[in-house]
Amino acid sequence: MTAPSPTARPPGVRPRWLLAAPVLVTVAALIVVPYVNILVMSFRVPSTTKPYLPGFTFGNYTKALADPDFFYFELLFDTLRLALTITFLCLVVAYPVAFHLARTTSRWKGVLYALVLSPLLVGVVIRSFGWIILLANNGLINQSLKAWGMAPLPLMYNEFGVVLALVHVFLPFMILPLMGAIQGIDPRLEEAARSLGAGPAKVFWRVLFPLSMPGVQSGCILVFVLSCGAYVTPALLGAGRVHTMTTEVITLLDQFLWPFGAALALILSVVGLAAVAIYARLSGRLMRGLA
Amino acid sequence: MTKLKLDGLQKHYGTVAAVKGIDLDVAEGELVSLLGPSGCGKTTTLRCVAGFELPTGGRITFDGNEVTMLPPERRDIGMVFQNYALFPHMTVRENLRFGLEMRKVDAASMERRVADVLGMVQLTSMETRYPRQLSGGQQQRVALARALVIEPKLLLLDEPLANLDAKLRDEMRFFIRSLQKRVGITTLYVTHDQAEAMVMSDRIVVMFDGLIHQVGGARDIYDRPATRQVASFIGLSNFVTGRVAGRDGSLWRLETSFGTISCGAGIAPGAGSPATAMVRPEAIDLSAAPVAGAFPGRVSERFFLGNLVDYRITMSDGTLLQVQQPATAAFAPGDEVHATLPAERAWLVRDDAA
Repeated sequence: MTAPSPTARPPGVRPRWLLAAPVLVTVAALIVVPYVNILVMSFRVPSTTKPYLPGFTFGNYTKALADPDFFYFELLFDTLRLALTITFLCLVVAYPVAFHLARTTSRWKGVLYALVLSPLLVGVVIRSFGWIILLANNGLINQSLKAWGMAPLPLMYNEFGVVLALVHVFLPFMILPLMGAIQGIDPRLEEAARSLGAGPAKVFWRVLFPLSMPGVQSGCILVFVLSCGAYVTPALLGAGRVHTMTTEVITLLDQFLWPFGAALALILSVVGLAAVAIYARLSGRLMRGLA
Repeated sequence: MTKLKLDGLQKHYGTVAAVKGIDLDVAEGELVSLLGPSGCGKTTTLRCVAGFELPTGGRITFDGNEVTMLPPERRDIGMVFQNYALFPHMTVRENLRFGLEMRKVDAASMERRVADVLGMVQLTSMETRYPRQLSGGQQQRVALARALVIEPKLLLLDEPLANLDAKLRDEMRFFIRSLQKRVGITTLYVTHDQAEAMVMSDRIVVMFDGLIHQVGGARDIYDRPATRQVASFIGLSNFVTGRVAGRDGSLWRLETSFGTISCGAGIAPGAGSPATAMVRPEAIDLSAAPVAGAFPGRVSERFFLGNLVDYRITMSDGTLLQVQQPATAAFAPGDEVHATLPAERAWLVRDDAA
């Protein structure tokens, strides 16, 4: 009689990777398949009368990248600049909130936490309309200004309105990872730094901020990626006067130029991913001692 | 070298008093321990000295200069925390340089001082490691080095050995003490471990419930405790209650229900007033034969502790005494014994419970 080998599975026990199967199937169906579809589409020959003509071409990419007016380069640049602005503003606004939430012992902590999450409970379309009511040329703010005899301000149909609304929309995605990271920092480290002669500013820049880098990194990546891909808010608050890669892609889809839209979308994805990779690399060097 | 002085220090959190007015003088180069159970206010006192808590009453002075309300970064202190609180994103070397950078020390002397202190704590080869790559004992020494490299006025240690295993803790006691003596820095040391306080300190401050019960050397605290709480916190003790019958020179006669014993005292109770005497278990002598001045009793229980045998002796009136004798002495449960309570080892204590 031979003993069963130690690696042998008892009968009836399935291999462990099967646990990941639901996720694998979902990811494949909802991400891999559409991306492959877009990739194939981006090499099709465009047509204004049907989705695409027979045959394949590099024409969509040469049109986007070799444009003599650099129209699409500028569009890409604007999109990334807008995304970076939003990310930076989110970080600046979110940090104090996250810090307070992470360290407070108030019994209102739960309520504050719910308030931070509350924007996520309202759909992005509704939130954008909310901003329109406030910022429009005859919106609440400008009507008040008029009532006080002041000149109205251009708050909408420009980058200002889009950035403002997107910062609001994406704030929770910055606050939550920051909060997690700051909660993990031992308050004794601040005390140690102060006992060694560091004032509050030095404590922040030399100890707290570097130690919260994992949260800063994930928050920034989330907000940056979401900003690059944002469509509803730029479309509604920009109202055709703020152009990003996403609004352009949707316009092309409306014009039935699917293959060209697909090419632009993929260019944005690749450039966005590259930006994230560079950022992760740089911020990773600041975190060498952590974890 | 700095003198530390606490003057009526108080700390209230709302209506809760953590420190209820304590006075303490620490001499230059002295190591004073704050000893007491958790919640006695020892850590709060240390944190007031460090500047992490602002007192609600009283004064703190370093060498006569008031620092009571100064923020910690302007006090020039070195602090070692229970969990070490090393900066995890900095190497050992960067951790040590931090305080020097805050003081804008020039590069050359910075190098020299970091190297000196690393030598002192025997970690020269570890300077490029990150804290998480070090053992607990090594982290402890880095924390000590980081506090000392800035050559602070005062060294503050908050239960620095509590996270180490027993063997390492023993080593570190002697290590910290010899380092402190070598550097000659005035040190305040918080601990709840009486053995640690006794080994390390010039003087021990025993605290209960926000108040100082006694300040003294290890011998004073052990042999001549001021209060019943001090006696029971430090080591084992028997408490014998009775009435003061009178006094013979420096000794007091205490009339107990099993006989009259003589004892020393740091207090002056009135004749006839109730009092409590403390006798350590190892101070009591047992003999089989009657001895002059001994009281009869019976062995009710016996426990073998290796180097000692621990007896419970029931006295004639039912009083239970704990007695520890060398393991060579042999009495069995049920044996008649005669217990001597030597006057020089019996001590009247203040007993608020009585």
